Amino acid sequence: MRAYIIRRLAQSVLVVWAVTTIMFFMFRVMPADPTAILLERGLTDEARQALLEQWGLTGSLWDQYVAYLANLLTGDFGSSFLYRKPVWEVLTPLIINTLWIAVPGLLLGAALGAAIGTAVGWAKRGGKLERSGIFLATIIRGVPNFVIGIALLTIFSSTLGWFPGFGMGDPGETTGFARYMTLDFLHHLALPLIAVIIYFMPENLLLMRSGVVENRTEDYIELVRAKGVPQRRVAWHAARNSMLPLITWLFPALAETIAGIVVIEIVFSWPGVGRELVLAVTRQDYPVAQAAFFLLAVMIVIANLAADLVYGKLDPRVVYK
Amino acid sequence: MKQAQTNAPAAIRGRSAWSAAWESWRQVMQDSFAVVGVAILLIFVVIALTAPYLAPFDPFKAMMTETGRLARLRPPSGEHLLGTTAFGNDVLSQFLHGFRVALLVGLVAAIAVGFISTLFGVLSGYFGGWVDDVLMRITDVALSIPTLPFSIVAVALLGPSIENIILVITVLFWRNGARIIRSAVLTERERVYVKWARAAGASHFHIIMRHILPNIIRVVFLWVTMSVAFAVLTEASLSFLGLGDPTVISWGQMLNTAFSSGNLRTAWWWVVPPSVALVMLVSALYLIGRAYEEQTNPRLRRR
Repeated sequence: MRAYIIRRLAQSVLVVWAVTTIMFFMFRVMPADPTAILLERGLTDEARQALLEQWGLTGSLWDQYVAYLANLLTGDFGSSFLYRKPVWEVLTPLIINTLWIAVPGLLLGAALGAAIGTAVGWAKRGGKLERSGIFLATIIRGVPNFVIGIALLTIFSSTLGWFPGFGMGDPGETTGFARYMTLDFLHHLALPLIAVIIYFMPENLLLMRSGVVENRTEDYIELVRAKGVPQRRVAWHAARNSMLPLITWLFPALAETIAGIVVIEIVFSWPGVGRELVLAVTRQDYPVAQAAFFLLAVMIVIANLAADLVYGKLDPRVVYK
Repeated sequence: MKQAQTNAPAAIRGRSAWSAAWESWRQVMQDSFAVVGVAILLIFVVIALTAPYLAPFDPFKAMMTETGRLARLRPPSGEHLLGTTAFGNDVLSQFLHGFRVALLVGLVAAIAVGFISTLFGVLSGYFGGWVDDVLMRITDVALSIPTLPFSIVAVALLGPSIENIILVITVLFWRNGARIIRSAVLTERERVYVKWARAAGASHFHIIMRHILPNIIRVVFLWVTMSVAFAVLTEASLSFLGLGDPTVISWGQMLNTAFSSGNLRTAWWWVVPPSVALVMLVSALYLIGRAYEEQTNPRLRRR
């Protein structure tokens, strides 16, 4: 077990290194000169050279690469071209904002999907509930997340005026965690959160349904039924065993969802990592874009690692080698 | 050799991938949801092919009123069936041209992803060894690349053109397919009939083409259908984020223009058509994909 964890960790580090390297060369091979955005502010040649040195953009590509990796190891992402302050200072508050819509959205979407999925999977094969459940879930799954966002925005914000459709609200006097505990914040949180839930639910529903359908004909279900256990409890037996693939799928999905809510953040002008990534790319603020991408990739690697380990805990048949 | 093959017992002769594909297609057509999906897809293809003849105006042309002013945000009328945009473009013409981009992206992705995934998956699964090792290490890395952020960065760096978008989509989505097809090949390889065929002196090429491929063709179809859906969604998302090809009109771009010019609420005629078309296209693909999924997983079939 320990050997397996160590090997898996080493593998993850290797993957992170590879992704970082790909990213580094992608950004450096581009023709654009990052100081070009500063030219309009009337930068002299000397000042420009000094900036290039400060940003680690001088020397051979190999030297730059080594310097970049060394900086990463010490947690230094460099400084933003645009904000003129360290990248981590720009990104830290944004990570929290992203997690605010990603984590509750994901958990609620999974719970809702699992509950409805069990009902659909347990329903009569070929019956009305099963057919309409599958059909609706497949259709909703086909709705691009920005269309979900646009629909929610148009209906509940612009037309009905129930929810604000822009940003996170006025932070006011409060700072720190209290900032997130205001009604105003929750009011702003509602629509993007609902969008993430709708975006994430159908996949869970279909996965859970497949699991329940697979399990319902197993012998152990017959046994439970023969014991005279009520239907609802029997369904619960099947549901519990169907959760295994769902849970292992959840972790990588968490990462992909965080990546996918880029678009939802844009629609609702929610100041998160994804929105900053898009803005940074269009403003050619490469240190920020690079770091945002790096963070998202690391999240996926950690999530995959966690999924492998949790799977072993949940399924006693898995043997670590 | 030809003679020897036809005289060989069926177990060794195998069957062609085409006949397996046809059989699997006929099974999928038993599923009424999949039939709905195929019908939608066919209608979309017809519209895409005839779009230049159906479109009443040039999609990029700004319409003028009789008084010489820009015909901004006109609601649907006899002249402009779906109204006009904030920049005076005819919405119906833009919408019809959007079919071409969506289906072009889907088609190219299907061919590219289907071919690459199948090639790598079969080689890796069948021969194993270092080919398999190298391929699996590459997919390990590729699978931890966040898809949408990667496409945003890559398209922004390479330049927003339809070719680059298709390139990025292909680079992104071959990996999952290769993995899934590889594991399907791994199970087939160990089957008794493959061993018999090999014992009877069949070549590797023969075994792959007539034994392995026919048995994994459903997995390939499932994956191709899903890839087309992902490709259409990725192109739409990129265009919505403002990274679409400025020289063509796509649905994501129409929504981006409506959104960024602040006309979501008022100009419903501008927003609804591209949204509905996207949902219909992607859902149709998922409906077909689901039917292949039920086929590839026999435990899901009705008992």
